[in-house]
Amino acid sequence: MHGYIVPLKWACLAFFALTAAVGTGSAAPPPKFDEQQQIAVLQTGEPQEKALACKRLAVSGTYKAVPALARLLADEQLSSWARIALEAIPDSAADEALRSAAGTLKGRLLVGVINSIGVRRDVNSVELLVGRLGDSDAEVAAASAVALGRIAAPAAIKALESSLAQSPPAVRPSVAQGCILAAERLLAAGNVEEAARLYQAVLRTEVPKPYQLAAMRGAVVSQKAGATPAILGYLRSDDKDVFAVGLWLAREIQGPELTAALIAELKNVPPAKQAAVVSALADRNDPMALPALLDAAKAGPAPVRIAAIQALGKVGGAAAVPVLLTAAIDQDQAVADKAIDALTDAKGDGISEALVQQLGNAEGKLRNVLIQLAGARYITAAKPLLLKAADDANGDTRAAAVIALGATIDQAELPWLIARVTKPPRPEDAQPAQTALRMAAVRMPDREACAQMVRSAAQGGSVEQRIAALEVLAAVGGQVALESVAAAAKDLQPEIQDAGSRLLGEWMSVDAAPILLDLAKTAGDNKYKIRALRGYIRIARQLDLPGPQRLAMCREALAAAQRPDEKRLVLDVLRRQAGKASLDLAAGLLSDPALKKDAAQAVLAIAEKIVDSQKQLVIDATQRVIDAGVDADLASKAKALQAQARGGR
Amino acid sequence: MGVGSYVSRRKFLRWTAGAAGAVAAPQLVPASALGKDGAVAPSDRITLGAIGIGNRGAYVLNCFLNEPDVRFVAVAEVKKARREAVKKMADAKYGNDECKTYRDLRELLARPDIDAVLIATGPNWHATAAIMAAEAGKDVYCEKPCTKNISQSLALAAAFRRTARVFQAGTQRRNLPHFEFAVQLARTGKLGKLHTMYAHPNGMATVQSGWEPAEPEPDKDDVDWDLYLGPAAWRPFNKKLLNGFHFEKGGGLVGGGILEWGSHCVDLCQWANDADHTAPVEYNPPEDGIITARYANGVKLIVREKDWLPLGSCPVRFEGETGWVEAGDSGKLVLSSPALLAGRKVAEIGGYPATFHVREFLDCVKTRAKPKANADVACYAHIACHAANIACFLGRKLTYDPVKNEFPGDEEANRLRSEALREPWRI
Repeated sequence: MHGYIVPLKWACLAFFALTAAVGTGSAAPPPKFDEQQQIAVLQTGEPQEKALACKRLAVSGTYKAVPALARLLADEQLSSWARIALEAIPDSAADEALRSAAGTLKGRLLVGVINSIGVRRDVNSVELLVGRLGDSDAEVAAASAVALGRIAAPAAIKALESSLAQSPPAVRPSVAQGCILAAERLLAAGNVEEAARLYQAVLRTEVPKPYQLAAMRGAVVSQKAGATPAILGYLRSDDKDVFAVGLWLAREIQGPELTAALIAELKNVPPAKQAAVVSALADRNDPMALPALLDAAKAGPAPVRIAAIQALGKVGGAAAVPVLLTAAIDQDQAVADKAIDALTDAKGDGISEALVQQLGNAEGKLRNVLIQLAGARYITAAKPLLLKAADDANGDTRAAAVIALGATIDQAELPWLIARVTKPPRPEDAQPAQTALRMAAVRMPDREACAQMVRSAAQGGSVEQRIAALEVLAAVGGQVALESVAAAAKDLQPEIQDAGSRLLGEWMSVDAAPILLDLAKTAGDNKYKIRALRGYIRIARQLDLPGPQRLAMCREALAAAQRPDEKRLVLDVLRRQAGKASLDLAAGLLSDPALKKDAAQAVLAIAEKIVDSQKQLVIDATQRVIDAGVDADLASKAKALQAQARGGR
Repeated sequence: MGVGSYVSRRKFLRWTAGAAGAVAAPQLVPASALGKDGAVAPSDRITLGAIGIGNRGAYVLNCFLNEPDVRFVAVAEVKKARREAVKKMADAKYGNDECKTYRDLRELLARPDIDAVLIATGPNWHATAAIMAAEAGKDVYCEKPCTKNISQSLALAAAFRRTARVFQAGTQRRNLPHFEFAVQLARTGKLGKLHTMYAHPNGMATVQSGWEPAEPEPDKDDVDWDLYLGPAAWRPFNKKLLNGFHFEKGGGLVGGGILEWGSHCVDLCQWANDADHTAPVEYNPPEDGIITARYANGVKLIVREKDWLPLGSCPVRFEGETGWVEAGDSGKLVLSSPALLAGRKVAEIGGYPATFHVREFLDCVKTRAKPKANADVACYAHIACHAANIACFLGRKLTYDPVKNEFPGDEEANRLRSEALREPWRI
């Protein structure tokens, strides 16, 4: 009764499936069910069959099914199923059936029917629902109120309004909810005055706080004028929930009037609230707020300054640069960090130019911040100043400048950076230069020329310099880089050989595969053989390859592998490449005692993927697994797949 | 300033953490949340309740408990064993016996002291519970998938707008740096004109809840079967159906299908296409395991099972006229050109932690800003998945109007937009 695998379109209606896991086939229309047959099931079937029939009729049932569905509305077990269909059938017969049931049912079943009437927005049910507003069952009355709100016909609204203050405490929240839902419908239809009146009616009534708050928001949204004073009133409230509604509206309501009012209000808001108001002001993305945000960023409590700084990053433009730069060297590190972030991400004309201009005159900590920003924003116009800073007496300044140059220089200037690596002015300059060279090299448009420059520069260098160059070459990639790293992997110098072998093993393009395979077969040190073979298998596993090529690599890898560990890695690749060839290769390892279990698992994983399309192949392969004498669990899985392939599930 | 401060602390966390491999997600607590001694002032504290806490819920709840400005006070759970396990965890954390337990979520939602709730029930309850929570004045962090159909998606967005409450869908990849970086490459034109996006559905098959043979119903205090069913149509008790994660995931009509991971991957595509407030206008049923949808701006959304780079689960790929990027749960990115990194090292945070997403939610509870996965965003990301599922179910091409939120002139598809809730529940 459960657990079988069915394609999506069938699983939707195959009611007893608990799980389904296949969906790779092409889609076909869902089965068409005969409506009369489904109606007959509703009358004579078992409960679960009736439930399924309801589902089917929800998709394609007509008025003809309504009487049989309506009879189920009184059934405690099946009422909800029947409503699934009745809510969906567009014919007015469904409305009539629900109205009729609402006249006879009681308790939860009645509540369900009323809920469905509300979903269908049946205007002809208003009188019935109004009558139920005074029902002795509070749940029925509450459901009626909400349904009336959804319908939002004039008579429904009138009834809700008039019962708002009179309804008992257990029902009143739902009447308020009905009023708010109705007001939303009116608002959507453009009937703003009527909507505002309804919201005000809720506000005048003693209702639970969440409804008051919703009405507060609605009252503002539906106001043509007067929204701004109302929002300011909310923001001045000591009630945190009312304040929260004010903040929501400060973001929701557009226009310069509110922006101006919020700016003015900043002076009046207590410090504890200022940051939140600044944040809301910023989210309005209104340039009018700029002077106020600049003021707020300059001084005051840190949370307010941070909120203003973040806002300036979004809307400040070039005008905010001086204030943000001052903040970027603030004693308060949190403030400084936020200012640097804001300047890094700030968008707009003139910002980078303003930063370069400042860099020309800056000193000390500010200069270092500006150097950092020049790199972070990739400001090429800053290069002359960065080159000058790269020779500064201060080591931190030199390092920051070189790294910033790594982000800004172009190919013609690459030799300068290479020289910085090979002949650093001071020993401590080598590391930042290497970092910068790597950053720069990967950006170069002609990577082969770039790699050639790096390779040439490294020749004759120290072991450390040569290894650093290899790291850069590996990051750059391409033919020259690959040749260089491949040569290094056979270098006589052990450190170079180790680095070359390591980088080759991590290579991210398929052209490294033949080199790795060669190394796996010919390297003198077994450690490098294993490393190369693992790199080769990784390429087969990770990179985007045509299936036959991936399989060919698996064959090569198996032939070269000396140890079970690497063969297991190949099995992992084969599991991802479902098909006859991968199945054969994996099954071929069943005879190896050290690999029997892994091979069996791989065979079964592949077989599971192709069981619907290549049944005989799966039958044969699973038999090989069984014959290999695997453990009971694997044998059981093999038999289950075999049975599935034979169609016996 | 040394080289190490090339980027600020936040940037460091965003762009460079764990460049050599996956790292534990660092905690980010705004200084504003802490008093001078590092303790949280009571006025800055967020009082949290939780509804429906199983395995996933316990993980996310732990993310909340690790935030110093959260005070967790109560759990509502229909299963006694889970209720008690959560209480034990919370009481051990706080060294007291104060965590309250409720069988019925309505009792928890009635507490005025609770500011926010974590909803981690099975998907059957997500939208209904979230809307109830909003109407009770709570902010909500809700696990995905958040809705069972198009109608629930729209109701969810409307409820949070109406009540001015903060909502965060549990689509935590929106707050992971490598996914965000990939999205920003697409949004800011760094890939050239965006033309195709790919999302991984983790199977297009549905997970269907059935009607199993009746078994003796447990004591209500142990498992409240009626509350467990909640808005799902009635069926007799059977313990096989007690796996809330799979129970009635897609409303039982069109099943979970691509919704399971689509609520993550399609959501990221929506973001990348700057389409957070709309959805594709055309959906084609699966062809060889590939669903193709198209947005009004011409960008294609391809939901496919195969041909992904090995970047872990939940991958996405964005292709523009001049470049592409692919990212997955390993925390890694693959780019068409390293130049797209522009010298940056993107933080490589594998294992899709919810830490950052939870933190963003908590910050928004305080500022009332909309989180990245707010109700409007979640609404259309889910609609895109539901509409694709309906195309799968009907086995034909569909056209969708994301303004009117209907399939124009297509009664059969329109019927599948919603499903009645069992009495007495409504949204």
